[in-house]
Amino acid sequence: MNNNIFELNNVHLSYLGRHPALCGVDMTIGSGEKIAIIGANGTGKSTLLHLLDGLVFPHQGQVKAFGQVLNEEFLRDEENSRAFRRKVGLVLQNADIQLFCPTVREDIAFGPLHLGFEQDEVQQRLKRASASLGVEHLLDRVPYQLSVGEKRKVAIASVLAIEPEVIILDEPTAGLDPATIRQVIDLILEANQRGKTIIMATHDLHLVEAVADKVYVFSQEKKIVRSGAMEEILYDMTFLQEHNLIHAHNHQHHHQVHSHPHQHFGHRHE
Amino acid sequence: MIRTSSLRNGSFIERSLLAAVSFIKEATLFEEYASRQGFMQGLAPGIKILTIFLLILTAVILKDLALIGLLYGLCLALALFSEIPITFFLLRTLIFIPLFSLFIAIPAIFSSVSPGQVLRQIHIFGITGMITSQGCQSAALLVARITTTVSLAVLVSLTTKHAELLKSLRHFGVPQIFVMTVSMCYRYLYLFAVMVENICGAIKSRVGIVIPHKRGQKFVAWNIANIWSRTNQMSEEVYRAMLSRGYTGEPRSLQRIKKNE
Ligand SMILES: Nc1ncnc2c1ncn2[C@@H]1O[C@H](COP(=O)(O)OP(=O)(O)O)[C@@H](O)[C@H]1O
Ligand SMILES: [Mg+2]
Repeated sequence: MNNNIFELNNVHLSYLGRHPALCGVDMTIGSGEKIAIIGANGTGKSTLLHLLDGLVFPHQGQVKAFGQVLNEEFLRDEENSRAFRRKVGLVLQNADIQLFCPTVREDIAFGPLHLGFEQDEVQQRLKRASASLGVEHLLDRVPYQLSVGEKRKVAIASVLAIEPEVIILDEPTAGLDPATIRQVIDLILEANQRGKTIIMATHDLHLVEAVADKVYVFSQEKKIVRSGAMEEILYDMTFLQEHNLIHAHNHQHHHQVHSHPHQHFGHRHE
Repeated sequence: MIRTSSLRNGSFIERSLLAAVSFIKEATLFEEYASRQGFMQGLAPGIKILTIFLLILTAVILKDLALIGLLYGLCLALALFSEIPITFFLLRTLIFIPLFSLFIAIPAIFSSVSPGQVLRQIHIFGITGMITSQGCQSAALLVARITTTVSLAVLVSLTTKHAELLKSLRHFGVPQIFVMTVSMCYRYLYLFAVMVENICGAIKSRVGIVIPHKRGQKFVAWNIANIWSRTNQMSEEVYRAMLSRGYTGEPRSLQRIKKNE
């Protein structure tokens, strides 16, 4: 057996049969990889992540997870679905959707509880996950009244509490301040060092640079236009510009106008 | 918190829409009194709910107007000791009374419902109604009961955080699925309110300050449909979020809820 976690073969998917969201995607993700999916808005990134988490299914083509075909029938079996959900965790793009319990505590405990862990174990996981994100002081708060950054941290904690092998994150840094972004990056890197596979969708090229080792670029045609090592893709400015991931932008420095690609890529001061 | 008074300009529709929104937000978010250091806030939520429940039961059983009055006095005193301004408390409770009374108390004063000594006859649309003294008495009793029970209920809800209230419902054997549904409704109500507010804000910033009356009506109708479908989609997405974390239609809850570690 190989140690491929996901294998996608010519996957097509459209919403309501009318709105295409993925048009022929092939992809192989191995264990322990750090994958970034980049692409402009509406190129199917979120849909792909939902597909990998077994929430939507292809209308054409095939998805294999851990060597088995991932479809509705497979997940209908309670054993299979529990085993799969214990192994794969998804942090949604919208934290307001992700957090649906009356308190932060219950939200973080929701995964472990429903995946059949004992109460003691659930409490342990609750403690570990909230400590690793520094949200212990928020446990008795109501999730939807938190700030954007706090919500995001709680959402990540609610997935980390499952302690999955594969962590999927949908735009994990959108709307966060630099210090919090750094915290999220460190957390992802640390999880990867413990052997977790990381799959994330983002437009944040700094995040890609800091975390990813492999990059897939999605286009408006809702398929992969290019994939490769992080360095190879990120330093190809013309390509990134073509796909709306950076834009040329006039800046005025000391009364001298010049033009350079935006996102100030590769000029980060730390 | 947005107050209606700050929205003085704007069309009538816009104003009433925003007023409704701010009422929902206030009703779902208002936890200021719940975090004060008063008498009721200091009680354990379980004990508090049980006590109030018994008091409500007493108010329903009592047949003596004076005793009910005493109970109402007790309720006001409790509100006072819990640092709730009495005018605010009265306003909060009295909003509900006319509504309840209209449907229950008014029919009771007539002889067809409460037979007895006739005080006065009235004619409405050719129908003769006879007001009886027994009828008046039982109507007074009803109004007193309603006032007292509503006040007691408002007192608990004002002095208890919503999350705690929902949690203690569970302790009293209310099925988890029910509590979960209530808390999710509650959350939707809040998100719904915020959404309406944002849409109004977005329109205002694009169209200008005032939405013309005629167009305003159309805009409201369109947006209500829009919000419906959005809320619907949202509930689908939330369901997926639940599935993703192992939900199989059978809710489980945390035991041994530790507080303020
Ligand atoms: N619930 C839905 N109903 C209909 N169309 C949708 C839905 N969700 C996404 N889409 C469409 O699918 C495409 C891909 O969307 P999405 O996966 O959210 O892209 P991204 O995450 O890259 O912004 C878009 O064209 C979008 O309009
Ligand atoms: Mg997306």
